[in-house]
Amino acid sequence: MNMDDWVSDLTRAVARRTSRRGFLAGIGAVLVGGGATPLLPISRASAQGAPGEPHPDKPEGDPEGCDYWRYCAIDGFLASCCGGTHTACPPGTEMSPITWLGTCRNPVDGTEYVISYNDCCGKEVCGRCFCRRTEGDKPIYYTHKNNDIDWCMGTSSVIYNSTVAIVVGTSTKKG
Amino acid sequence: MSTAVQDRPFGSILVASLLLLGLLGPVPARAELPVESTGQVVTLPAPAPHWAWVADPLLRRSTLVDLDRGKTLGMVSAGFGPIMPMLAAGRGEVMVAETHYSRGSRGERTDVLTLYDMRTLAPTAEVVLPPKRAISAVPSNHATLTDDERFAVVFNLTPAASISVVDLAERRLAGEIATPGCSLVYAVSGRRIAMLCLDGALLVIALDEGGGEASRKRSAPFFDPQVDPITEKGVRIGDRWLFASFEGYLHEVDLSGEVPAFAEPWSLFDDGQRSDEWRIGGAQHLALHRKSGRLFALMHQGGVDTHKESGSEVWVYDLAGRKLLQRIELESPGLTIMGFPIEVPEDWIWPLSSIASGIVNAIGSAMGGDEIRATQDETPLLAVTSNFGGGIALYDALTGDFLRRIYSGNMTNVGLIAPFGGQAP
Repeated sequence: MNMDDWVSDLTRAVARRTSRRGFLAGIGAVLVGGGATPLLPISRASAQGAPGEPHPDKPEGDPEGCDYWRYCAIDGFLASCCGGTHTACPPGTEMSPITWLGTCRNPVDGTEYVISYNDCCGKEVCGRCFCRRTEGDKPIYYTHKNNDIDWCMGTSSVIYNSTVAIVVGTSTKKG
Repeated sequence: MSTAVQDRPFGSILVASLLLLGLLGPVPARAELPVESTGQVVTLPAPAPHWAWVADPLLRRSTLVDLDRGKTLGMVSAGFGPIMPMLAAGRGEVMVAETHYSRGSRGERTDVLTLYDMRTLAPTAEVVLPPKRAISAVPSNHATLTDDERFAVVFNLTPAASISVVDLAERRLAGEIATPGCSLVYAVSGRRIAMLCLDGALLVIALDEGGGEASRKRSAPFFDPQVDPITEKGVRIGDRWLFASFEGYLHEVDLSGEVPAFAEPWSLFDDGQRSDEWRIGGAQHLALHRKSGRLFALMHQGGVDTHKESGSEVWVYDLAGRKLLQRIELESPGLTIMGFPIEVPEDWIWPLSSIASGIVNAIGSAMGGDEIRATQDETPLLAVTSNFGGGIALYDALTGDFLRRIYSGNMTNVGLIAPFGGQAP
């Protein structure tokens, strides 16, 4: 095995052992450097999770991270990284009233919640915090469970910017 | 000025010396270049089998690429969403279902089917569509032509499902047909369009001479979307459409007769591969070389619900024999920044060159492949792209050998098609 092959195999092995999403996130973190670190660690550390929500210091409690529990069936850019929050769209965009639904388990109470993924519309794509999790995602013909569709419907513009994740109820069953 | 006067003899001596040493060729007669005319625009030659369209939703275009030469030939610049040109070879036209806003991302929405001349890539006609065409991250099967190239059919979703039908001979909207609960469009012979339904059934709509609905037939469900849905990313051979399910079973739907025939699904994996969690995945994870009957599938290792994960390998099957022929471990599909390729320069010395190319390849391989397409000629290419870069990795579709990477100037690739093979679907 020559040196080219060895280096190639080694780096591939490292890459393969890491999930693609994690690997890309890692690249993103390297590229943006300090931007990936919370800018206000003191206020972050003292922040308490909202009632019933995981602590925001944990990945499953951080609405700006792809591992946030509500994002289990999302595919898009997180509104919370784009000037909005996980329940409110960025300034000047318009929230689509028509959505797809996911069913995600809240680690705090173990309850399966029905999550409405409303797209934020009318401005160009955000580009921050791309998050693709496809738990329970179905193909386009199974429309209300599909996260590939541009759900900017019923809005004044179909142009997609980002996505929020809103609790709309509890579910008795996953799927 | 005195310096210039002094330089001249030195320059003459230098040239004379080089000539004596034979280092310069014959000195051409000094002639001024002829005056050229402005305003020239290239017209393309006849399409070649190894041309392909690669769409970039960020740049709102689809780029026409010569895969052999790695040359960008031109583009159609066509609005919001994946831009999927449809080739009407008999008409010498290519057409795109487009969505535009009067003020860029806001204002009045106009959906339009734009027809472009295949040689000039200039728009020649347009037909305004109902402003409701479906747009998604899945590039394929949102619009199609009937086999006779008489009608274009565009899938709408508001979220009520319907199709818009355009009469290409008369350049007008023929009408809209409601298709409640059934989505996407898969052309088959006889001016028929098949659609996939919420309950796992197939809806087949036949068009009449005016583009209206001649008949509508809905099959019994042939799969259970709750248990193991087939993906939308089917490929066509004749009047058969092939779909892979999330769990890796290939469903063959034969629409040559009056009633669709559904073959018993066959597994793309043996037990060992299944226990190793190999799965299909990607934005277009099936490709087909029709003449050789080689079916290509993007594969990765992952758990349940990873049907959109990029592929690390392409598996090659003999469609007729339902047999795995080959596994191709994918090279990087190519990294780009703002469309510029990130490749390690050839003149970098070892070990820097090895380390750098290893890192670049590792990042590219981790990105994986999101879409695959095969050309349909006698010496077919398999093209592999990533949604996250603008490169195209090319393989020999008969041997699986990696050939090279090329670049189109795209920043992202969402929508890859190679329709120029000149053979019937």
